[in-house]
Amino acid sequence: MRYLPHTNSDRQAMLESMGLHEIMDLFTDIPKEFHTKLGSLDLPDALSEAGIVKKFTKAAEKNRHAGNTRCFLGGGTYHHFVPAVVDYVISRGEFLTAYTPYQPEIAQGTLQALFEYQTMIARLTGMEVSNASMYEAATATAEAALMARRVTRKTRTVIAGSVNPRYRTVTENYLSRLEGDYVEVAMGEFGTDLSQVIDAIDETTACVIVQYPDFYGSVYDLAPLREACDAHKCLMVVAFSDVSAFGLIESPGAYGADIAVGSGQALGIPMAFGGPHLGVFACKQKYLRQMPGRVCGLTTDADGKRGFVLTLSTREQHIRREKATSNICTNQGLMCTAASTYMTLMGDAGLETVANHSAAALDLLVSKLPNGVVAADGAHYNETVLTFASQEKRDAFISEARNNDIFAGIPLETIEKGAEQIDGNRHLLVATTEMIEEDDISDYIQAMEVAL
Amino acid sequence: MSVPTDLKFTKDHEWVRIEGDTATFGVTDHAQEALGDIVFVELPEVGRSVDAGEAYGVVESVKAVSDVYAPVAGEVIEINEALEGEPDLVNSDAYGTGWIIKVKISENNDSAELMNPEEYTEFLDE
Amino acid sequence: MSNTTYSATSGIQQEERLLFEHAHEAPESISLPGVQGKAPSSLDVFKRKSAANIPGLSEPETVRHFVRLSQWNHGIETGFYPLGSCTMKYNPRVNEQVARLPGLAHVHPDQPEDSVQGILGLLYELQGWLTEISGFKDVTLQPAAGAHGELVGLMMIRKCLDARGEQGRKKVLVPDSAHGTNPASAALCGMYTVEIKSGADGRIDLDELKKHLDDDVAALMMTNPNTAGTFESDIKEICQLVHDAGGLVYGDGANLNALVGVARPGDMGLDCLHINVHKTFSTPHGGGGPGAGPVAVNDTLKPFLPVPRIEKDGDVFKVVTEDKQSIGSVLSTLGQTGVYMRANAYISAFGHNHIHKIAQDAVLNANYVLSRLKDVYHVPFEGLCKHECLLTDEWQNKHGVKTLDIAKRLIDLGFHPMTVYFPLIVHGAMLIEPTETESKETLDSFCDAMLEIAAQCEAGDTQALHDAPVKPIRRRLDETQAARKPVLVWSD
Repeated sequence: MRYLPHTNSDRQAMLESMGLHEIMDLFTDIPKEFHTKLGSLDLPDALSEAGIVKKFTKAAEKNRHAGNTRCFLGGGTYHHFVPAVVDYVISRGEFLTAYTPYQPEIAQGTLQALFEYQTMIARLTGMEVSNASMYEAATATAEAALMARRVTRKTRTVIAGSVNPRYRTVTENYLSRLEGDYVEVAMGEFGTDLSQVIDAIDETTACVIVQYPDFYGSVYDLAPLREACDAHKCLMVVAFSDVSAFGLIESPGAYGADIAVGSGQALGIPMAFGGPHLGVFACKQKYLRQMPGRVCGLTTDADGKRGFVLTLSTREQHIRREKATSNICTNQGLMCTAASTYMTLMGDAGLETVANHSAAALDLLVSKLPNGVVAADGAHYNETVLTFASQEKRDAFISEARNNDIFAGIPLETIEKGAEQIDGNRHLLVATTEMIEEDDISDYIQAMEVAL
Repeated sequence: MSVPTDLKFTKDHEWVRIEGDTATFGVTDHAQEALGDIVFVELPEVGRSVDAGEAYGVVESVKAVSDVYAPVAGEVIEINEALEGEPDLVNSDAYGTGWIIKVKISENNDSAELMNPEEYTEFLDE
Repeated sequence: MSNTTYSATSGIQQEERLLFEHAHEAPESISLPGVQGKAPSSLDVFKRKSAANIPGLSEPETVRHFVRLSQWNHGIETGFYPLGSCTMKYNPRVNEQVARLPGLAHVHPDQPEDSVQGILGLLYELQGWLTEISGFKDVTLQPAAGAHGELVGLMMIRKCLDARGEQGRKKVLVPDSAHGTNPASAALCGMYTVEIKSGADGRIDLDELKKHLDDDVAALMMTNPNTAGTFESDIKEICQLVHDAGGLVYGDGANLNALVGVARPGDMGLDCLHINVHKTFSTPHGGGGPGAGPVAVNDTLKPFLPVPRIEKDGDVFKVVTEDKQSIGSVLSTLGQTGVYMRANAYISAFGHNHIHKIAQDAVLNANYVLSRLKDVYHVPFEGLCKHECLLTDEWQNKHGVKTLDIAKRLIDLGFHPMTVYFPLIVHGAMLIEPTETESKETLDSFCDAMLEIAAQCEAGDTQALHDAPVKPIRRRLDETQAARKPVLVWSD
C-alpha cells in the first residue's frame, strides 16, 4: 500500500523486538467478539492513484459547474474570482499539513498569517477585533447570539426575517435547548423594515440580529438600529453573506455594530458545493473575552523578537470546559490563509473593483428586464429577487436559461419556506459577481425574452 | 510562605480583611502561585450584592481559570481598578495591592467557614 | 549524534515583516473580469466614508511574503509530527488534485439536483463507507468538525430521550481523561457533565461508573481507545450498564485510527460516534482546519439525524431537506464537502483489502516507540497501547526537567513535539501518536532523540533543554504577555 512505508520485514523486525510474533498480537486487548474479519468490510477493491483520478474525473464530469456555465446563484455562496496565487499558497505543505499552532516556535507562519487575517477582517468589517474564524456563516451567527447572552446576561434573541433563512434556522436550533425566547420578525416584503425589528426589542433582549446587505441583497441604513440597541442595552449583531460588499459600502462597524458575523467565502475560496467556507466573526474590543473561537495575539520571544501565539485560551473548551465561550475547537485555519492571500493581492483598490463590478452587473441586469418581470425595490448590492407573473413563467425561464448554460437563480421557496411575501412560488433570487460578463447578461435577458 | 496575621482565610484560598463594617477580599499567596502568571481579573460591578460563598469574579492565568468566592456576604463598594491594567499585582502582592474588591458587610453577617492564620497554615500543610 | 535533520535550517531563513509594514503604496490594482462599470448611484449614499486600509501588494511580493511565512512552519510534509490524539498522518497529494477538479470545486450548493449527481454520488458513497467502517446504520455529513459532531450527537441524544418522555435526564457522564470539548458541547444542549474518575489503569472504572448511573443520566461520552492510548476492554459492559440505566452512549471518534478495519465501534454497543475525517481519513489539518465531523448512528438515533442529507432513489441521488423527527440543521449546507472528497479518495486508495493496515501499522508504530522508550521514561499505565502511547516526565523531574523542556528540545533535534500535558489524569503527560505513515527509520531517529534527551537529564547536562528551542526562527514565546495585554490586530 503506497501510503505505508513499512515492508513486511520491517514489521516483523519491529514485532520481534517487542517479543511478539504477528501484528494481531497487538490487538488482544480488544475482545475477540469485536474483531472484524480482516478484509471483510463492504468496501470496493483498492484503487491505484490513476484509478482514483479516473473515478473522480468521471464523477466531476457528471456535474455542471461555474466553469462551464454562467452562475447567477447566490443565497450565501458566490462565484467570485480566485487568483492562482491563493490556491498555490494554501497548497504549500507547510500551511496545508500543519496542525493547530500549539508549538508557536515552529508555527510562526500560520500564526502571522492569522494575525494578518484578523487585522484585515477587522478593517474590512470596521470592527476592532476579529477571531481566527468560525466554520461558516450560519454557525457564526448562532455563536453571536450565544455570545450576546453571555455579555448581557439576558436571554431573548430578536432576529429579522430578512436574515438568510439558513442562518435563522441554525441559530434557532442552537438556542432551542437553552432558556429564553427566540423571536423572528416577519418582514412581509423583500427587504428589511428596521422599524418593525426595533419594535420587537425590549428590556429583556440580549441581541438583535439583522443582515446587511440582507438575504435579498437589499442595502439600507442601519443607524436607527444602533440607537434602539443603546436604548435597550442589547447588542447589535450584523450578519452578511458576501463580505465583498464592504469593499464598497459602509461596514457594519461604521454603523456601530457590536458583533459582525458572516461568510468570508468571497475572499478567494471556491464554492465547493457548500464548503469548506469561512465564518467571519468580529466584535468590539470590550467584548473580547466573551468572543468564541481561537485568536492569535502578538508577543515577544525569549530574545525579545516579535512573534505570535494563540492566546486567551482560557475562554476555550479545553480549559474552561462547560463554561467555555463555545465548544468550537477546530476552525477554518487554511481558509484564513486563503482569505489573507486574496486580500493582499486585491488591496483596497481591488476589493472596491470586485464590489463595483459585482454591483454593476446586477444593475445592468435589472435595467434590461423585460415587461412581466419585476425586481425588488430599493438599493441592492449584488443580489435581488425577481418576481414573475406565475410559477410557470419563472420555471420556463429557468429551463430556457439552463439550455443556454445559465443557472438563472435560486427559486426562493427552496431556501425560504412559508414566508408571507412568497406567493405562488414565482420568485427567483439572482446574484451577480465580477465573473459575470456583459454577454452573459445579454444571454440571460434573451433567455427571459424567449421563455416569456 | 508567610501568612499575614490580620486576615482570615477560606478553604478556597481566599483571604478577607474585616475592618468595621467593611471587608476586603483577595486570593492568597498559595492561590496565586498555583495559578501562575495572572493575566486577567474579571471584576463585579459596584453595587452588586454577593452572598457568602458566591462567585463574585474570575481570576485567569495563561492556562487556568478560577472563580473567586466571597468569604462574607455584602454589597460591593469598591473594586481594584488597578487590576484591569496590571493583573499581575495579584502575583506580586497578593495580600496588598493585589486585593480584588471591598464590600460593605451585610447585616445578616453571613460568612463562609473562615480560618485564622494558624488554621490556614495548618490547612496548607495537609 | 542521533539525528542530523535540524528544523528550519535548510536554505536561507528570511525574516518577513507584516504585510502592513511593507513600505510602499499599493500597486496598480489587479485586473478583474466582469462588467467594467461602477456600482449604481442608488448605492452612493451607502458608500464607505474611508477605505478599509487593506494594503495590497503586487503578485510577486504577495507570493514571496506567504512563501517566506510558510517556511517558518512545520508540517507533516516537512517532518515527523507525533501529536497525540491528533493523528498527523501523511495527506496524499492525489486527494488535493481530485478535490480541485472544477466539476467538484466550482459547484454551487444550490444548483439543481440533476446538475450535481456526480458530487452527490461521491458523498453518498462516502456516507455508506463511513457507516460500514464504523459499524453503524447511517451517518450525517453535516457537522463541520469534531466538536460540531459532538454537539450534533448530543442534540440527537436529547431528542431521543425527549421522544421517550425522559425530559428530566440531563446528566452527561464524562471520564476525567476526556477531551475538553465534551463538557462544552453538553452545556450547549442544556445538559451538565459529571466527571468519572479513571481507574488505576487509566480506564473507566466500572464501580465508579455504577455510582453515577441513576434516573438523571442522559449519556456517557467516551473515547475508545481513550486519551491514555489504551483500549476500554470493558466496553460491552460499559454500554450495557448505561443502557440499563436508561442512558445512551456517545463515542468520541478522535481515536478511530486505532480501529479502522480491525474492529468497529458500532458493534460494541455505542449509540453514535463522531469521526474526525481530518484525523483518521487523512484530510489536511490546514493549520487548524477545515475539518469535518460526520456522526454515525445506530437504529436508536437514526430517526433524529440532521437535515439536509443525501438519499438514493433508484439511480438518482436526492437531497432530503425536511424530516419531522430530525434535529434540524446545524450548518448552511450539506457539509464541508471539499473535505469529504479527500476522505473518499483516501478510502478508495485502501479498499476492503488494505484498510485494516491503517490501524495495524498505526498500533505497531505506537507500541514500537513505547517499547523503545519505556525504560527511560515513566509509563503510567502498563500494557499494550493502541495508536498512541502515554509517557510522563516523572523520572526527568528529579533533574529539574519538565515535559515542556523535553518538547522544546525535540524541536532543536528536528521533530515536532508530542501532545503535552494532556490527558490531565497524569502529571506531565507526553502523548505520542506516530501514525501509520512513518517509516521505521523515522521512528528510530525520534526514539534516539528521546533517549538522548533522557541521557542528558541523567548526566545533569540540562542547560540545552531549558534553553530550547534555539534553532527555529523564534525561541520560547511569552504567552503571559500575549494574554495580559491582548493585541489581536495591527495598528499602523
